Amino acid sequence: MPLVGTRPTTDFEHGPLLRPDGEPWVLPRVQILQVMYELEQGAMTSLLPPALHPTIPPTLVVTAWRVPESPAGPFTLAEAKVGCRSGARPRALSVRAYCDSAAAREALAARWGYPVSEGTIDFARRYDRSWVTVRAGGRTVLDAHLVDPEAISGADIQYLATLNTARVERDGAATARLIQVDPEYQFHSADRGMPELLAFDGEAWGLPGADPYWPVSASYAVADVAMPELRYLVDPAKPPLAAVERLHA
Amino acid sequence: MKFGIFYEISVPRPWGPTTEYEVYQNCLEQVKLADELGFDQVWAVEHHFLEEYSHCSAPEVFLTACAMVTKNIRIGRGIVVCVPEFNNPIKAAEVAATMDIVSGGRLEFGTGRSATWTELGGMSADPDETKKTWDEWVRIIPKMWTEERFGYQGRAFSMPQRAVLPKPLQKPHPPMWVAVTSPGTELDAADRGMGSLGLTFGGFAEQEQKIAEYRRRIKYCNPVGSFVNEQVNTVNFLFCHEDNEYGAKTGQRLAGTFNYLAEQLLAARQAYPTRSYPNLGLLPALRREATSAPEGQIPEGLCIGNPDRIIEVIKKWESVGVDRINFLLNAIETVPQEEVLASLRLFAKEVMPKFAEKPAAKAPAAVGGN
Repeated sequence: MPLVGTRPTTDFEHGPLLRPDGEPWVLPRVQILQVMYELEQGAMTSLLPPALHPTIPPTLVVTAWRVPESPAGPFTLAEAKVGCRSGARPRALSVRAYCDSAAAREALAARWGYPVSEGTIDFARRYDRSWVTVRAGGRTVLDAHLVDPEAISGADIQYLATLNTARVERDGAATARLIQVDPEYQFHSADRGMPELLAFDGEAWGLPGADPYWPVSASYAVADVAMPELRYLVDPAKPPLAAVERLHA
Repeated sequence: MKFGIFYEISVPRPWGPTTEYEVYQNCLEQVKLADELGFDQVWAVEHHFLEEYSHCSAPEVFLTACAMVTKNIRIGRGIVVCVPEFNNPIKAAEVAATMDIVSGGRLEFGTGRSATWTELGGMSADPDETKKTWDEWVRIIPKMWTEERFGYQGRAFSMPQRAVLPKPLQKPHPPMWVAVTSPGTELDAADRGMGSLGLTFGGFAEQEQKIAEYRRRIKYCNPVGSFVNEQVNTVNFLFCHEDNEYGAKTGQRLAGTFNYLAEQLLAARQAYPTRSYPNLGLLPALRREATSAPEGQIPEGLCIGNPDRIIEVIKKWESVGVDRINFLLNAIETVPQEEVLASLRLFAKEVMPKFAEKPAAKAPAAVGGN
């Protein structure tokens, strides 16, 4: 059967505590930049917990959102995720993300389990390229670009559902879980271009040993994003076919 | 209705020094038995880099071995990836003609373009180009077979005049097929006068609609080859056992394992935004079909269970217009070899005779070719 992750589950015990209540969020005209690279296969299984399979080949998915309007005010969010499979389902594991707004960090962590830290994020779009740069702890931890954009249809883009590293209440204790977040997108426009990853610090994203080395794709889109009501969690310690559980039993 | 077997050649981990050898030997033993039992065709895929799921990157070699241990079964190259980073059209025509000769005129020639980033990225192929190069190749390969000397100046491929040798034994040339996974590809097949080599199941109703449209369209086709190959070939799982419950349970395990492996791959669309791959290809459709039945029930279209149940299922496929069914027999050896062979024998004894006296197909048989 397929390979499974070998990462110690203690690595997943430090996420935010999930408190998934509140009004629905629909975020109008979010700018979304996504850059995908293949990862060196040496870390194929060591980045993932036993509940997840690596994809063949393993991938790094960088996603950045510039959100002009939200109940928590405007914010920019950047994630660097590992492409994976939860059983047979395509997913992307997020161990650490960065956001430039304290109010948004608090809401994203509590309601959707985003493992967000504070960071300075530069998100820009030009006619020849778009990019996201993240600085944290006094250094640049990400510099990802889309080069030479060409217009495509939003229907040509597929975003993977994210598994956010967080904790949930189980039997009175805060327990590590991966939170499935699968927003809905209504596209206004979309571009595709060449990916370019000029800086990536795996440690800073909770992905030690991750070495993105082979460019795959880059896309930029403007979309209305409806944040989902959470339904499914993954217990990182269990085997893939036994790991998925409902948030509310 | 004709029956065949279909190989991805999946190899289970851990990969010992002889694991692949043993799986290949099991497949060859199955093919030899299938030939003796009267199965009509054996198909093998061309896949690259698909760990566990398919270790069948040189199907022309495997199929030649099949031809050498059999007498009658037709040899299905399913499919030649018509993308220049994978293959070369001259070489594809030469290899196919040679296979046709050494098999005594038993080749079926499938064409396609790959659907995973695992393969397209691995070969540094441009996903936007694959449909276009496929379209060019399927028009020139039959000419290489039938024209004494062939020269061509095209978009993605050109060559000065040369004699492409050898020529196939079947005259004018082997039947040509298109692998159908993306919606609409069955119409591409029809428009070019090619057989529809279906690689997804879908429900009966969905297939009936697609087949009806294929039949309508092919009447007005511009054939790429020297004849029209109006046939609909589908793929299915087979596990036939006297005990319906055991047969269904084992068959569902086979189907579930196959689909689970398929989902570990990276579909082209999941990695690269392009309208050239409007859906995820065969993988989700296979999964949906294998898991769509209510708890405790067998998915409607799968050929698993006892002979009576399988006969009913095949009658339904026949009624919606399917001409041929190819069966996947195993996935990472999840079914012991002896049970696979017993399943083939029971199917041949109890099921095949029920379809032996039927007219060849609802549609006219292929003109020429075989």
